[in-house]
Amino acid sequence: MKKTNNKKDFKVPEGYFEGFTDKLMERIKTSNGDQKNLMLPKSDGFKVPDTYFEGLHSKIQSKLKEDETKVIPLNPWRKQLYYAAASVAIVVLLTIAVQFNQSPELTFESLANSDIEDYFEQTDLGFSTYEIAEVIPVDDLEVSDILEYQFKDENIIDYLDDDIDNIEELNLLDND
Amino acid sequence: MIAEETLLDELRRPETLDKAFEVLVNTYKERLYWHIRRIVLNHDDSDDVLQNTFIKVYKNINGFKGESQLYSWMYRIATNESLTFLKKKSNKMGISDAELQDRMVSNLQADVYFDGDEIQIKLQEAIARLPEKQKLVFNMKYFQEMKYEEISGILHTSVGGLKASYHLAVKKLEAFLKED
Repeated sequence: MKKTNNKKDFKVPEGYFEGFTDKLMERIKTSNGDQKNLMLPKSDGFKVPDTYFEGLHSKIQSKLKEDETKVIPLNPWRKQLYYAAASVAIVVLLTIAVQFNQSPELTFESLANSDIEDYFEQTDLGFSTYEIAEVIPVDDLEVSDILEYQFKDENIIDYLDDDIDNIEELNLLDND
Repeated sequence: MIAEETLLDELRRPETLDKAFEVLVNTYKERLYWHIRRIVLNHDDSDDVLQNTFIKVYKNINGFKGESQLYSWMYRIATNESLTFLKKKSNKMGISDAELQDRMVSNLQADVYFDGDEIQIKLQEAIARLPEKQKLVFNMKYFQEMKYEEISGILHTSVGGLKASYHLAVKKLEAFLKED
């Protein structure tokens, strides 16, 4: 394959190819720079007190020791009291659990739609509706995904007959 | 720097725990501090949250299963501690999360440990308006210069999702800074 333009039917400015690489590299450098710097400041202006990090480990150690000394040892009679209370609590919990176990196991289907809707409303997904709309392909959606009510053909024809004066105004295109 | 596996091994043995914990604190204190500081903004609050984070790490190190890297686990604890701290603060003050964010940014001007100029304050105002996830991703990527793979290990979000969040965050921040 010929790499040169031997027939000379087009011309380029003199010295064009000599300076091409430099020009291109300069442009790449500039556009990279633009992208990196954006228009946001690179530092955020936060400072820490001098020597803050030097003393941190000992501060954490003394806090840990403080936590350890706060633990109050249980007296033997107190322990027995706790065991007795725990046994009663276990019996009560087991009774309740046995009763509750008789109800059918929860599945995704048993969740009410309102619960699912509530979850999406209450949980911050980190995206706005418009942002979600940007990533959901419209082609995969059917009208039935959005509308609960299914229109029958005769309803649509009745509506057009009764309410539309001039059907030409709808400017319908036959796409089929 | 000591290898993570060796450090973890030493942290799990009572006889080497204290020495290894000191190494752990010294290795990660600055990185975790800046991560927390960019969430809670104020130095004193960051100091509290950072200490609580390390105390949680110390107390729960035997419960760490090693399914993720040690630093990802610590970043997760730091993130949770910071967000819980803010939640408690807004509940205590009886204001919404958004209101608290606004107050935190307006307090910056009087903060002795903040010497940002007008544009840096405006940037903090803009960041405060981002949804939580975008805020975290932006701070970790832009200021802490973390890789998407590292952020993914911490926030349990796919790299694609993180890229989308970062892109949207930058777009919103630029739009906010362009106003006026």
